[in-house]
Amino acid sequence: MRNSNRDVSPILDRRVSPSGRLWNPAADVYRASDGWVVKVDLAGICSDELQIEIRGSLLSIRGCRRDTHYREGFVFHQMEITYSRFEKTIEFPSPIEGAAVRQDYRDGFLIINVRT
Amino acid sequence: MADPAETASPPPADTSAEEPAQQNEARFSAVATGQKFEVPVLALQNLTMFPETVVPLGVGRPRSVSGVEGALATPEKLLGCLTVRPDRSDDTDAKSSDLYDVGTLVMVKRMERLPDAMRILVQGTERIRVVEWKQEDPHLRAVVEVLPEPRTVDPEQVEAAKRNVQQMIQEALALLPNVPAEVRIAVLSSVDPVRLAYFLGSILNLGVEEEQKMLEANTADELLRLAHNNLGRELEILQLRSKIATEAQTEMDKAQRDYVLRQQMRAIQKELGEDETGEAAEAELLRERLEKVELPEEVRTEAERELKRLERLPPAAPDYHVIRTYLEFILELPWLKSSEDKLDLEEARRILDEDHYGLEDVKERILEFLAVIKLRPDTKSPILLFVGPPGVGKTSLGRSIARALGRQFERMSLGGVRDEAELRGHRRTYIGAMPGRIIQSIRRAGVNNPVLMLDEIDKLGNDYRGDPAAALLEILDPQQNNTFRDHYLDLPFDLSRIFFIATANQLGPIPPPLRDRMEVIGLHGYSDREKLEIAKRYLIPRQTTDNGLNQAQLKIDDEAVELIASRYTREAGVRQLERNIGSVARKVALRIAQAQAESVVVTESDIREYLGPPRFYPEQARKELPAGVATGMAWTEMGGEVLFIEATLLPGGRGLTITGQLGEVMQESARAAQSYLWSHAAEFGIESEIFKEFGVHLHVPAGAIPKDGPSAGVTITSALASLYTGRRVRPDTAMTGEITLSGLVFPIGGVKEKVLAAHRAGIRRILLPSRNEADVDDIPEDVKNELQIVFVSNISEVIDSALEVLVANPPPHVTAGDSARGSREPEPEPLTVKGLDR
Repeated sequence: MRNSNRDVSPILDRRVSPSGRLWNPAADVYRASDGWVVKVDLAGICSDELQIEIRGSLLSIRGCRRDTHYREGFVFHQMEITYSRFEKTIEFPSPIEGAAVRQDYRDGFLIINVRT
Repeated sequence: MADPAETASPPPADTSAEEPAQQNEARFSAVATGQKFEVPVLALQNLTMFPETVVPLGVGRPRSVSGVEGALATPEKLLGCLTVRPDRSDDTDAKSSDLYDVGTLVMVKRMERLPDAMRILVQGTERIRVVEWKQEDPHLRAVVEVLPEPRTVDPEQVEAAKRNVQQMIQEALALLPNVPAEVRIAVLSSVDPVRLAYFLGSILNLGVEEEQKMLEANTADELLRLAHNNLGRELEILQLRSKIATEAQTEMDKAQRDYVLRQQMRAIQKELGEDETGEAAEAELLRERLEKVELPEEVRTEAERELKRLERLPPAAPDYHVIRTYLEFILELPWLKSSEDKLDLEEARRILDEDHYGLEDVKERILEFLAVIKLRPDTKSPILLFVGPPGVGKTSLGRSIARALGRQFERMSLGGVRDEAELRGHRRTYIGAMPGRIIQSIRRAGVNNPVLMLDEIDKLGNDYRGDPAAALLEILDPQQNNTFRDHYLDLPFDLSRIFFIATANQLGPIPPPLRDRMEVIGLHGYSDREKLEIAKRYLIPRQTTDNGLNQAQLKIDDEAVELIASRYTREAGVRQLERNIGSVARKVALRIAQAQAESVVVTESDIREYLGPPRFYPEQARKELPAGVATGMAWTEMGGEVLFIEATLLPGGRGLTITGQLGEVMQESARAAQSYLWSHAAEFGIESEIFKEFGVHLHVPAGAIPKDGPSAGVTITSALASLYTGRRVRPDTAMTGEITLSGLVFPIGGVKEKVLAAHRAGIRRILLPSRNEADVDDIPEDVKNELQIVFVSNISEVIDSALEVLVANPPPHVTAGDSARGSREPEPEPLTVKGLDR
């Protein structure tokens, strides 16, 4: 009987959802004896476009992933990988301004060493 | 294939870079504001894409598929989404000129192929405006520029609008239980007003025009205002729809519930064999009957009106059965149906004689009434009232009358009826209302001229609910009862053709106006001889058969019956006699059943064995009476009785002491008797000194039974006269009569019963007031022949006839000489019957 309400909810006709951030790659943070190690799940980025920024206790990583494997004559049959800009911001319990940052790109992970 | 397009001018990009700093959630853009670049364009029908929303799209048209593929061929997978203007109606592929200029740049996040289409998930990123169309086929392409995000002009107004919108969303969500939880959370936790507005724009079904307006809004203020207005309208619609839906739901629920119940009821009725065809047929059947039956016009009109009401009512209505019962009752009543009287007087006489022994005068009067009916058939039937002791055959006489007339007989007992409504019915408005007993009896009789017996009319009760006797006044009045209105029927019914017979044991309790409407016929007790005849003719045969014997197996001889009647019963009627005969018959039946005998003849000497010792010892005439004792006769409901009045002198006493539960009237009779004797002392040879010096005690056994009435006056006078004169009352003589102070003897009632009782007691000489001479005719011949009846008209005659001439016990105070002389010299005088020789 209750489902008769269905005809009064046209609002749900479109399966729309709010977007949130465009793309929010996953990240692990380790606490090391001399600082922090941040590991971000970021495959297929062009590292020269990567921007890392420290402000206060925040570490921001910005960049983008592009489809570089597309060739003339290709036709997509299926697409599930997100190609887009991204921004990842990590907050640390204490300020890290002035710390030494070293980035490394290994096995599809972006590793960032923050030495305080 | 990347399309970097021309580089955009940096200033607008800078403005957008300043603002995100204030917001904790930075917005991302695929490309910088103001940039111009070429993208494939997807034409959307009836749908507007907003930034910051994720929408799944089905893509089927070849041109659209080509467009999506074009986007996928770029590294950034960007696609322009433009909405088709709503005024376009044909179904062909939309041309560039059919599209709005402003749309949304989306990023294709996912794509999968379906057999003849593709499904993509796109995420809106920026608003764009078409700068220049580049191609139409195989898909649309255009150079677009990214529009800046809507500016906030008045932050407070925007915040207020946002809060209002959130409030309304809360309300809307309350009406939409099926919204997924993630959407709720996303909407309610959204802090960015622009984002919220875009999201609302995409989920509310606003129509392309409104959606486009929101998309094109350049300030947050404008955007929020539009969102607010649209949401408000949607909410109103939503509330209204929800209300309508709820009402429709309740209405449908009720209708559905009724339907289900009705179905169930039908199923039950079907099981019970009373399905609706039965109900319809019921009204139909009533109508048929109504058409066939003969009814007075007034009744037919009323019945038809009620029938119409019945047909309109559902059978479950409470009134349905009330009306149905009423109609059935009307149809069953014999409004115009009457039985044919058979008015053969000879036959009537024969039937009366056959059913009843004796009761000659009663039969005579009944025959008189029948004769009148015969001569004038339209005459009002008489209303008879039979008054008599129990068991004398009043009810069965009514039955015989009905038989003699050839009419239906109905009997209703009025004993204990104390509510007028019992006779006249209850109004139909009352639950369980019924017609009164009169109308019910008529229905049972089935004709409108039955003999209707109102039994025990003297035992009507009455209380605050009304006096049933008053209702009887109308029922028994021949002038009024042709339009008798029962409360239930509420239609006039003609009672005037009914032969009413009422019975009563006593006249006393019947209200005089009621008595006045009836012909009173008294039924007296039966004499021993009559009882014997009745026993032989009716009681013994009936009891023999009832107890499973045949006439040959049981014989009770006359002496035995007489013994039962006199020693085992004391009644005016024959009920106890019949019961005792029944006992004898049962005992005989036992013996025959045990094969101890083939047939039994019961004789007088066997009675003790069958019925035990005699139960009654009636007063017998005493062989000798001392002076001061006289034999009187009394009338009781059981018939007549003999009683003795005893008087004795109390030396030194005063006045008159009276015992034996005598009533006022009898005590006064005693005083009158004494006063008369005192005043006429010389005349009777009484010394007046005796009245002064002696008191008198008068006693009447049996002392436990209350007695009253004036008829003992003569007896008391005789007893006192005997006491004062010393002359004994003749023991073979019984007497009755009222006296006056001047010495006259007045007539009394119940002569027959009294004489019969005296005869039973062995009295052979009776003193009666001469004005009762006519009543002697009632006395059966055989009894009369054995009696000497003396009529007296004044006290002197009484004393002459009752007292022996001889002074047997002289009064004490004249002991000196008189009494000795009296006892020594008896002067026997010849006893005369009617003479007075003083």
